[in-house]
Amino acid sequence: MGEEQRRVDTVRRSASEIENNLIDAYADGRITRREFVRRGTVIGMSLPLLSFLAAACGGDDGAGTTAAAETGEVRRGGTLRTAIIGPSQTVDPLKVADEGGLAVLGQTGEYLTWSDEKLELQPRLAESWEPNDDGSVWTFRIRQGVTFHDGAALTAEDVATTLNTHADPDNGSPALSAFTGVLSKGAARAVDEATVEVRLEAPNGNFPYLVSSDNYNVIILPADHDYGSNYERSFNGTGPWKLDRFRQGNNVSYTKNPEYWDQERQPFADRSEIRFLDEEQARVLALQGGEVEVVSNFTATGGAGILTDPNVSVLEVKSVEHRQIHMRVDRPPFDDKNVRQALALTLDRQAIIEGLFEGKADLGNDHPFAPAFPSTDPDVPQREQDLDQARSLLAEAGSEDGLGAQLRTWDGVEIPDLAQLVQDFAQEVGIRIELNITDAGTYYGDAVFGKSPWLDSVLGITDYGHRGVPNVYLTAVYKSDGTWNAAHFKNPQADQLINEYMRALDIDSQRAAARQLQELLLDETPVIIPYFFTRLAATTGNVTGVEVTGMGHVDLTRAGFKA
Amino acid sequence: MGRFLLKRFALALVTLWLLSVIIFTAAQVLPGDVGRRVLGPFADQRAVDALNEELGTNRSLVVQYGDWVGGVVRGDLGDSYAFGRPVAEMLGPALENSAKLALVAFVIVVPVGILGGVLAALKEGRLRDRLISVSGLSATAIPEFVWAVVLIMLFAVWLGVLPVTAQAPEGANVFTELRYLLLPALCLVFVLFGYISRMARAGTIEALDADYTRTAFLKGLPRRTVIRRHVLRNSLLPTIAVVATQVGYLIGGLVVIELIFGYQGIGQLLFRAAEQKDFPLLESATLVIGAIYLAATLVADVLYSVLNPRIRYAEAT
Repeated sequence: MGEEQRRVDTVRRSASEIENNLIDAYADGRITRREFVRRGTVIGMSLPLLSFLAAACGGDDGAGTTAAAETGEVRRGGTLRTAIIGPSQTVDPLKVADEGGLAVLGQTGEYLTWSDEKLELQPRLAESWEPNDDGSVWTFRIRQGVTFHDGAALTAEDVATTLNTHADPDNGSPALSAFTGVLSKGAARAVDEATVEVRLEAPNGNFPYLVSSDNYNVIILPADHDYGSNYERSFNGTGPWKLDRFRQGNNVSYTKNPEYWDQERQPFADRSEIRFLDEEQARVLALQGGEVEVVSNFTATGGAGILTDPNVSVLEVKSVEHRQIHMRVDRPPFDDKNVRQALALTLDRQAIIEGLFEGKADLGNDHPFAPAFPSTDPDVPQREQDLDQARSLLAEAGSEDGLGAQLRTWDGVEIPDLAQLVQDFAQEVGIRIELNITDAGTYYGDAVFGKSPWLDSVLGITDYGHRGVPNVYLTAVYKSDGTWNAAHFKNPQADQLINEYMRALDIDSQRAAARQLQELLLDETPVIIPYFFTRLAATTGNVTGVEVTGMGHVDLTRAGFKA
Repeated sequence: MGRFLLKRFALALVTLWLLSVIIFTAAQVLPGDVGRRVLGPFADQRAVDALNEELGTNRSLVVQYGDWVGGVVRGDLGDSYAFGRPVAEMLGPALENSAKLALVAFVIVVPVGILGGVLAALKEGRLRDRLISVSGLSATAIPEFVWAVVLIMLFAVWLGVLPVTAQAPEGANVFTELRYLLLPALCLVFVLFGYISRMARAGTIEALDADYTRTAFLKGLPRRTVIRRHVLRNSLLPTIAVVATQVGYLIGGLVVIELIFGYQGIGQLLFRAAEQKDFPLLESATLVIGAIYLAATLVADVLYSVLNPRIRYAEAT
């Protein structure tokens, strides 16, 4: 005990203020062990150090989260076959904007950091990282001795060039949606052979997430890499799998990379084949028919058959994927806060989750702070269905005789069903909703204000994909000048809190800002978020060790056939 | 005969040109701009602008149409927006796949359908007729995707004797490919059987009632000879026309079957192109399918005229 305490003291003396803050928070029981580890990795503390501190400082939540995916007894060798939704366009790191494309990129390419299935950051090509005092400059130590598949060695210059390429507006990388206002072209600089320093436009406490697998375009490539459709010929990268053959629209196959740097993550299987099956039914049937061992994505309703199949193991991955029901706060009838709250109060969220996802989703509380985010304050009361209160709020707004509105959305996944449920629930208090459901292209239009039903309609439902941190949701949806602010929500206090949240380096200040934001958004209700649903993946019973992330990455390095 | 063919051919060219105008305008009125559609609603506007610039989709429609049609005439179908590859390179294998599937389905359904129809007609109104007609009709009434799921569950998942997907591994021999194509082809057989057998049945019944058949019987020819020489020859005419018009559907209209079986045919290519607003691919693929439809109809007409002396002689004079 004494020895351990001495070691803790030594660590604390050399730790920065931010690090000590985090250790305090954990020792006092304000954050769970999982959050401590997660937050620690973000500010650049190493995993061995974190687990030592976690054990030494107690305060465990008992959830026992250190164990990685149970790999059991795995046989080496064999070919793993996976079915995914195929890439819908050229797999070019500068263009990919779909799940199929990112899943393929993630096999051969690697990121500075990996945002794993528990939203914890794992070091990959960055060995470690740390912020300066206010989080405006981040320094990454680049792993040495790593080679690309073409034999070239990874350098700090490669990393800096990759980051700058994606930050350059002229290249039009989808990564810009995370980098805008954070990272500008030329901001990443190789200080020496093994160090990259990144100067941000504004302090950002979550920057390591923005260069993780979450921002899936940013796989690290050689500085002289020529982006474009040529990438499909080589799939050059540093990853555990090397390209064998890519057949567009059909499949891609890999062999394990014998030169892979990480001894802990050498693939068990010899080969991996990923088949592109766009139709959910086709993926599910392929799994059941034994043509693939892994399906990276299926829905509770479409894949009901495999949810109960004893020969299939279902992987449930917490994701923060969600739908936003946004109401224009500058147009009647939703310019009255009471009306917005009334609509939110009509929803029986538990029933919605049961009906649409067989219960496999978290309740949403009308702000983007999903329960899965460590910075979310779980103590903000959950909004429940309350029809009486909804009626009295409507009366207060002078709409006791009811009101009407048109809801616009698009006809994909479970969205039309959700729209119908909202219509039914709203009906009970006299809010008459007329549905106008079109194809996605019509709904999103040009995706700029004035030319997009999504951004212009009084009431709409929009789908939001997974992110490891809520930064992009906050800046793009809730800030006054947000590019996806379909509710036209303009609130100086929210703007200020969002800036505060983004800047915050330690978990306490993040959570303090989050709490205030959660309460503010719950009260203002520019957007109703009924649920955050769980991502479902599946493997056949004879396979283990597959890791699927909320983002849609499929890590097959530790996957293999059971012995 | 030659003039007849020439006239039909010229007409087909005009139809194709009209088709090109229609699909071009129809495709362009799809909402949302191309760069936005390719990159998705959440991509940065600067990324969208950069892509539109690169693809030339910010130019005027007339210029874009001229560009496309000019290319098509020279045999250049353009490059796919989403995949950056020449459209011809993508259409080729897809067309080959579609043709393979259509061929397998055809080889099964045409003889079986005609045989069923003739057998039913010979026992008109009796139990055999009823059985064949009703089962044919029911099979046709069930949508192809239902057949697909039922057949996959039965033969691939439970019995495990046939593959779930239709795409044979690379380098597979003909027999393996056939094995992979059997289930999707069967779905099409079910959908088309009722159609073809009904035509064959109606034609046969008509021919059986015809004066020449009665004469043949009265001449004392054996039943088999009458049926083979007089009934079948006449009854199959309309059936052939029906079969030929199905070629277009079999090659270009199998979106659902191709998606469920994960088969890389032209239907799936077309569907994805429409979803992605991949205009060069969408327009050229539609044009190619249109050409196949026209060619199939042309062949049907020619066959019909070859088999039917009335048309043959009328045209010749």
